[in-house]
Amino acid sequence: MKPVIDVSNLYKTIDDFELGPFNLSIEPGLVTAIVGNNGAGKSTLLKMLMNLVKPNQGDIRLLERNISEDESWKQHVAYLPQRLLGYDPFNGHQLKEIISNLYPNWDESRFNKMVDMFNVNLSKKYGKMSQGMQQKLALALMLPRNPDIMILDEPTSHMDIPSKYLLMDILVEWMEEGHRTLILASHQTEEIRKLADTIAIIRDGDIIGHYEKDELSRYFTQYWLADSLPHKTLPGEVKRKGERIVITNQERELEAYLKRHQLKWSQKEHIDLNDAISLMLI
Amino acid sequence: MELPIKISQQSREPIYHQIENQIKALIASGQLQTGTSLPSIRALSKDLEVSVITTRRAYQNLEYQGFIQTLQGKGTFVADLNPSIKQEIKQDSVSRALSEAIETAYQHNYSKQQIKKLFLSLLDT
Repeated sequence: MKPVIDVSNLYKTIDDFELGPFNLSIEPGLVTAIVGNNGAGKSTLLKMLMNLVKPNQGDIRLLERNISEDESWKQHVAYLPQRLLGYDPFNGHQLKEIISNLYPNWDESRFNKMVDMFNVNLSKKYGKMSQGMQQKLALALMLPRNPDIMILDEPTSHMDIPSKYLLMDILVEWMEEGHRTLILASHQTEEIRKLADTIAIIRDGDIIGHYEKDELSRYFTQYWLADSLPHKTLPGEVKRKGERIVITNQERELEAYLKRHQLKWSQKEHIDLNDAISLMLI
Repeated sequence: MELPIKISQQSREPIYHQIENQIKALIASGQLQTGTSLPSIRALSKDLEVSVITTRRAYQNLEYQGFIQTLQGKGTFVADLNPSIKQEIKQDSVSRALSEAIETAYQHNYSKQQIKKLFLSLLDT
């Protein structure tokens, strides 16, 4: 299938911070999580996808069109940044009026449903709402636009736990309705585990990998050895814990090595997704 | 609807295969009756915390083998299965469980005789 977003050789410098050069391809119908440590460049990447930040070099194709050529693609994409500028002086009713008028496919019943589920008080000014409530309203103003692609930058960072679960159900439903694509920058492990199909990992300005989630869940294996580990670094070794535990990303090579050196192991276990991501970001 | 499926990341069996076999077992044992609606690929993926790529593969295999049926715009349903296939699946899931037990016993250095003895004594309790 043709990618809905195709990033090639993208490179950007901001002061002394370098982002890229990187390549990323996003398939339709999937949820892609962008994860990384703080300041890794996730938000900058998303802004570049929206043509809000210009790269120094490289190309971004969105729905097979170069985003810098014309802006017709914008009606197919909804982007939720971490901070919405200009919303503060308006209340929920006013914001809905402004935004719904900009989108011909606006789905009023979905907006009402989300406002209801999240218990948003539309008479309150956006600037006076708690950060969690602002995120709820912002999402309720996002999904009813019925975009093909939705890009959410840490959409639930301030939301309470039940609301996060509610949103996951809403997003599942939204994904089911058509050939939709969701890009989610997130630090929320639950969201990544339950929603993501692929995970792109960004560390210090570089995409160090883009994996199918289930591949990442089995990427690292931890071995418990019967005796102390040798001093030499073992095949695929990424970490040791104490004297007898080693984590590798090359199961077969490690097992062959252990066999050759007559080192016995008593147990092995795949490292779960959260720990695997942490190992990659260290 | 949530399905009572348990995925093991530790098993050597690929995840799509685990989903496939467990749905087959649920159908064979009658827990999922003909015509029962199955969760969507996206919803099941969320419950099992796997990617839709994996779940889609399991559903495609099940559909190809005639266990489930997808009706455009309506969803996925348990198909009408021949009783002899159900019988086959039942036997298959039981022998799979027993084979795993045997493998565990061998890993603990049990002899064939010891396994037989243990099995029979467990059967009588």
